[in-house]
Amino acid sequence: MANATTPAPNRASSNPRFRSGLLTGLLILPAGLWYLILLVAPIAIVILFSFGRRGATGGYGGGFTLDNYGTVLRNPDPILTSLYLAVVGTMLCLLIGLPLAYYIATRAGSRKSLFLILLVIPFWTSFLIRTYAWLMILGPTGAAGFIGDLIGDQSFRILGTEPAVLIGLVYGYLPLMVFPLYVTLERMDRTLVEASKDLGAGRWATFRQITLPVAMPGLISGSILVFIPMMGEYVIPQILGYGQVFTMGNALVLRFLESRNWPAGSAQAVTLILVMLISVTGYLWYLNRGRRDRDVSVL
Amino acid sequence: MADQDLDQLIARMDRARISRRGFLAASGLTGLSAFLAACGSSAASSRPSAVASAAPTAVPSVAPSAAAASVAPSGPVGGTGVTEGALFMNNWADYIDPGNIETFKKQYGVTEFTYDTYASNDELLTQLQGGKVGIWDVAAPTADLMPALIAGKFVRKIDWTKVPNAKYIGPNFKTQWWDPADEYQIAKDWGTTGIAVRTKIVKEPVNTWKAFFELAPKYSGKVVVVNSSVDVFAGALKSLGYSLNSVDPTELKAMRTLLLAFAPHVLALNSDTYEVPLANEEAVLGLTWTGGVADLRKDPKTADTAYIIPEDGTIYWVDTWVILEGAPHPEAAHAWLNFIHDPQIQAIETETNQYATANDEAKKYIPQATLDDTTIFVPDAILNSGKLETAKDLTANTQRADIWEEFSSKIGG
Repeated sequence: MANATTPAPNRASSNPRFRSGLLTGLLILPAGLWYLILLVAPIAIVILFSFGRRGATGGYGGGFTLDNYGTVLRNPDPILTSLYLAVVGTMLCLLIGLPLAYYIATRAGSRKSLFLILLVIPFWTSFLIRTYAWLMILGPTGAAGFIGDLIGDQSFRILGTEPAVLIGLVYGYLPLMVFPLYVTLERMDRTLVEASKDLGAGRWATFRQITLPVAMPGLISGSILVFIPMMGEYVIPQILGYGQVFTMGNALVLRFLESRNWPAGSAQAVTLILVMLISVTGYLWYLNRGRRDRDVSVL
Repeated sequence: MADQDLDQLIARMDRARISRRGFLAASGLTGLSAFLAACGSSAASSRPSAVASAAPTAVPSVAPSAAAASVAPSGPVGGTGVTEGALFMNNWADYIDPGNIETFKKQYGVTEFTYDTYASNDELLTQLQGGKVGIWDVAAPTADLMPALIAGKFVRKIDWTKVPNAKYIGPNFKTQWWDPADEYQIAKDWGTTGIAVRTKIVKEPVNTWKAFFELAPKYSGKVVVVNSSVDVFAGALKSLGYSLNSVDPTELKAMRTLLLAFAPHVLALNSDTYEVPLANEEAVLGLTWTGGVADLRKDPKTADTAYIIPEDGTIYWVDTWVILEGAPHPEAAHAWLNFIHDPQIQAIETETNQYATANDEAKKYIPQATLDDTTIFVPDAILNSGKLETAKDLTANTQRADIWEEFSSKIGG
């Protein structure tokens, strides 16, 4: 350890600041290694693979080529479908999640715990089974049949459409939006709302200028928590999309498992990561830019 | 109706992964539970009753006598009959007649018979590559895995003197590309990909892939297709008059044009439950496997469903029995291969599995109705036309992979 701090090891080790630094380092070490081995290294490998060629019997065969990215660009449909589903899905989660979180946090009173438990209960059942359940709810003997009868069109279908996938996505990820929103709204200082009203602001103005900015951290983390998994979601489009909604997840499965073409799959994975990164960064940049102006008015 | 849905849901979960073997006509769970019952208890009485009644000619001659006899029931089965007393099998789920297992155990003094399963060729290969060698005696991979199994030294050469019944195997299943010298495998079951048609609605003849693709615009949104590039490409390439194993860039380009024009008319890519949209007339045309279609024909409401093996040729798959390297019970493994190809035993297999047999002699013991059923057997005229092909492993061809991805992402327009 002494070798690490070359110039004056003795002085350094007796320095309390160094010792606290060492302690911090030791404490960070497990998490650091964790991220290095399980996050940084795999991403580096995926990036490396994405420029290689397929091995003769599949897998990664080394070499250098840009062809894999050409493949991704030639058919941008999967990534566009995923992006569309994730953006609309996140917006729907927000539209449903914000009033719900607001209600639970401020109006539910003694039933608060009950509502929170109700939100958690679905997690006791396998995600796969719950998605299969939607297959029946939305199927010809469920909602689709009912609506079909109402409008007199027996061929009316929900399964196999993007709305069906959106329903599944919103259902699956809504709690991830509600909980962060709930936490921020629950901690909101209610006197701010009263003050706003005392000063003559209407309900809308109070919501826009007080509640929304306070909820912003929860809104941001909720949106990101929901957006990212939606973007890479495979199971829900596979089941509720009924072989008709082809997402990035489907494309990845196709390349890795069916073609056993790791480089082509890696290029798709890297593209997916890039699209997510750009989307999330852009989103944060946009929100923070707006928030700085309003921060002043809140504080 | 809701019950039916639930049944389908359970059946779908039972099938778990995409594989042809998921569609055993002796419907999913029923067959499985019957099999488990047969393994757990002892008697042959727990065999599925449908099987027993469907094969009246074959069953009585084997089952009762075999219980007492240690000798083969009909002529040249099983050589000396001396085995190690155990056989460990790795196979697709529900792919052996449970009664035949009991007969084998009694006949060869096998007391320990285990049956593990895999859901795909890849899964079997992964198991073997992962070091699970010396665990099983026999397995039944699909033929296209043979080159990988031979290259990986996962299979051992079969001693044909111990498998005299191999002489019954038809010429279409000998000296094929997957095992040119017939050293490592003996054909098990085989089947086709074809066209499913609700003839109540589709009045036009659909005897070729060409007709199928030409009719798609007319029945737009009512065409179901298995989610398998190999099978869809086979149909498309055959309709254009090419080999289904084509890697010629020009031919593949022509196929791409055909498929991209076809994609908007497709209801869904569906490998697990394509029989469901066909049953409720959501789909009236299908590029499907045989599984499930036979059931549709038995139901009076959907009896108009036809399964057509296209005259311009199609793809067929062959499952093969192999003896694995390091087999702990090689004598029992050879005995099994010979036993299962006893013509009468093989006839029972065909009735249970509802797949065609490669054993010509066994056809004598199979009811004519089964032999005439195109969901099981291919008419000899087409079989001998040379237009039937098996698929080679072409996953390395990126042009094919690209076309499949593009096609998949354009389904339904």
